[in-house]
Amino acid sequence: MVRERVARLFDGVQLVVVLIVLALPIAWTFLSAFKPRTEVAVLPPKLFFTPTLENFVELFARNDFLHHTINSLIVSTGSTVLGLALGIPASFAIAWHRLSWPATATLFARMAPGTLFLLPWLLMFNEIGLVGSHLVLILTHAAITLPIAIWVLLPYCDALPRELVECAQIDGARADQVLRLVVLPVIMSGVVVSAILSFVFSWNYFLFALVLSGIETKTAIVASFNFIGEGVTNWGALMAAAVIIALPPLILTLVIQRRLVGGLAAGAVKG
Amino acid sequence: MRRVPLMPNSPNFSETVRLERERRGYPRLGSPMIARSSLRGSYIWMAAPALAFAVAMIGFPFAYAIWLALSEVILGSPPRFIGLGNFQRLATDPEFWNGLKLTLTLYALSITAQMILGTWLGLLVARSRYAKGLVRVILVSPFMLPPVVIGMMAIVILDPSFGIANWLLAKIGLGPSLWLSDPSTVILTIAGLDTWQWTPFVALIVMGGYLSLPSDVFEAVEIDGATPWQRFWYVTLPMLGPTLVTAAVLRSVDILRFFDVIYLTTQGGPGISSTTLNILAYRRGFEFFDFGYASAIMVTLTAVVFGSVMVFARLRRAVAW
Repeated sequence: MVRERVARLFDGVQLVVVLIVLALPIAWTFLSAFKPRTEVAVLPPKLFFTPTLENFVELFARNDFLHHTINSLIVSTGSTVLGLALGIPASFAIAWHRLSWPATATLFARMAPGTLFLLPWLLMFNEIGLVGSHLVLILTHAAITLPIAIWVLLPYCDALPRELVECAQIDGARADQVLRLVVLPVIMSGVVVSAILSFVFSWNYFLFALVLSGIETKTAIVASFNFIGEGVTNWGALMAAAVIIALPPLILTLVIQRRLVGGLAAGAVKG
Repeated sequence: MRRVPLMPNSPNFSETVRLERERRGYPRLGSPMIARSSLRGSYIWMAAPALAFAVAMIGFPFAYAIWLALSEVILGSPPRFIGLGNFQRLATDPEFWNGLKLTLTLYALSITAQMILGTWLGLLVARSRYAKGLVRVILVSPFMLPPVVIGMMAIVILDPSFGIANWLLAKIGLGPSLWLSDPSTVILTIAGLDTWQWTPFVALIVMGGYLSLPSDVFEAVEIDGATPWQRFWYVTLPMLGPTLVTAAVLRSVDILRFFDVIYLTTQGGPGISSTTLNILAYRRGFEFFDFGYASAIMVTLTAVVFGSVMVFARLRRAVAW
C-alpha cells in the first residue's frame, strides 16, 4: 500500500515537472506580449506588471499586420475548402471501390519535402503569371490540405455501412444525392476534424508563402519572419505577433483535442 | 403458376425466388451480371477531380523536379539536359556532405530523445487519473503552434544576453550558453526545440496505443509477480512495438525534412553550422538561383526520406504481434 502510494506520488511529481516545462515557454510568450515595452527584456523578469496593449497597437500600426492576418485567413480558408471539396468525394470513391493505391499515393504526397515541389511550382506559376496571387497560395496549400483530408476521411468512409448507400440507390438517388444526403451526414465528424486540421496546417505553413507570396499577399507567418529578419529587437511587438498567429491554431485544436492525435496519426496506425 | 407466399422460412423459398426472378427476366443470382447491375453503381469518377489536382500539383512537379535535377539551368535560357552532372557535383561538394552530416546528426539526436521521452511520458500520462483534460490541452499545445512561433520564442528566450534561459542557468550555477549562436551547440539546441515541441505528440500516440492493449495480459503478469521493470521490458514495450514504429515514421519524415524552425532562427548559420540538406537546397535554389543543383539536393533528400520510410515499413512487419 505504502509502496503504491509512493509510486503514485512520484508519478505525479514527474508529470507536473513535464507539464511546467511544456507550458512555461508558452505562458512566458503570452505574458511578454502584454508587458510594457520597457519591461519585456528586463532581468530578473518582472512577474507582476500592469498589463498593456501597447505592443499590439504598435504591431498593427507599424506593420500592417491586420492585412497579413487577413491574407492568412483567405489562404487557409480557401485551401481548406478546396481540399475538402476534392477530398470528400475522392475518399468516398476510394473507400467504396476498396482501392488501396490512392492511400499510398497520398502518403507519398504527405511525406515528400516541400522544397522539392517549390522550384517546379515557382517556374510553373511564373509561366502563367500567378506568382504573388492569393490563388497560387491556395492551390499550393491545398497540396497539403488534400492529403490531410483524404487521410482523415478514409477511415470514416471505410466504416460507412454499404447498405446505407445501396438503400439510397434502390430509392433512385443520383450520385450527388448519395454524397450529400447519405454519406456526408454520416462522416460529418470526420469532416470537422479534417477541416480543422487542414486549416491549422495551412495557417502554420511557412515555406510556400515565403517564396510564392507577393508584398500584397504576404501571410502573417511570413510577415512575422520578416519582422524577425529586419533585426527588430522590439521583443514586445514580436511576442504580440506570436500571440496573434498562435491563437487560431490553439483555439481550434482545443475544440477537437480529443480526436486530434487520432486524426494526425490516422492511416499510419492502420498500416 | 400458383403463387407461393414468399416466406423466408418456407422450404421452397430459394426455389421460389429463383423462379420469380426468371419470370421477371432478372439475371441469375450469383451470375457476374449482378456485379454490374445498377445496385453497385460506380462512383470512381468522384475521385477524378482530386486525381487531376494531384497530377497537376504533385505528380507533374515531382517529375519536373527530377528533370531539373538532371539539367543545367541558367536563368534566361532553357534548361539543358546534363544527365547525372549535378549529382557528380554533389559528391565533391563539402557543403553537401556537411549538410548530410548535420541532417543525420539532427535526426539521430531528435528521434532518440523524442522516442525515449515520448514513451516515458505517454505511459506516465496513461497511468495518471487527475485533470485529464488540462493535461491533454498542455500536451497538444506545443505541436499545434506555428513553427514561426516556436522560432520567435526561441529567439527571445534563448537570447545569449537578455534571454531568460541563461538567467535561469546562472541561478542554478551554470555558465551561460550561446545556444543558437554557437556552431558547436546550434544543432543540439535545434534538436532540443524540436524535442520540446514534438515529444508530447509521441507521448499521446504511445498513450493511445497503451490504452488499447488487452488488459488481461497485464493482469497475468501481475499474478506472476513481475517487477515493474520486467513488466515494462518484456510485456509493455514489445506490445507497443507497432505503435512506436508508427510514431517513429511520422517523426522521421518531419525531422529529415525539417525546415521552418531552422530557417527562422539561424537561416543555416552561424556559418554553415546548421545548414541541413533542406536548408542547403533552399539557399542554392532561392538565394543563388542554381535550380538544377538545388533540385539534385532535394531529390537526394527525398530519397533519404523515402528510404527511412521503407526501413520502418520493414521494421513494422517485424514487430507485429
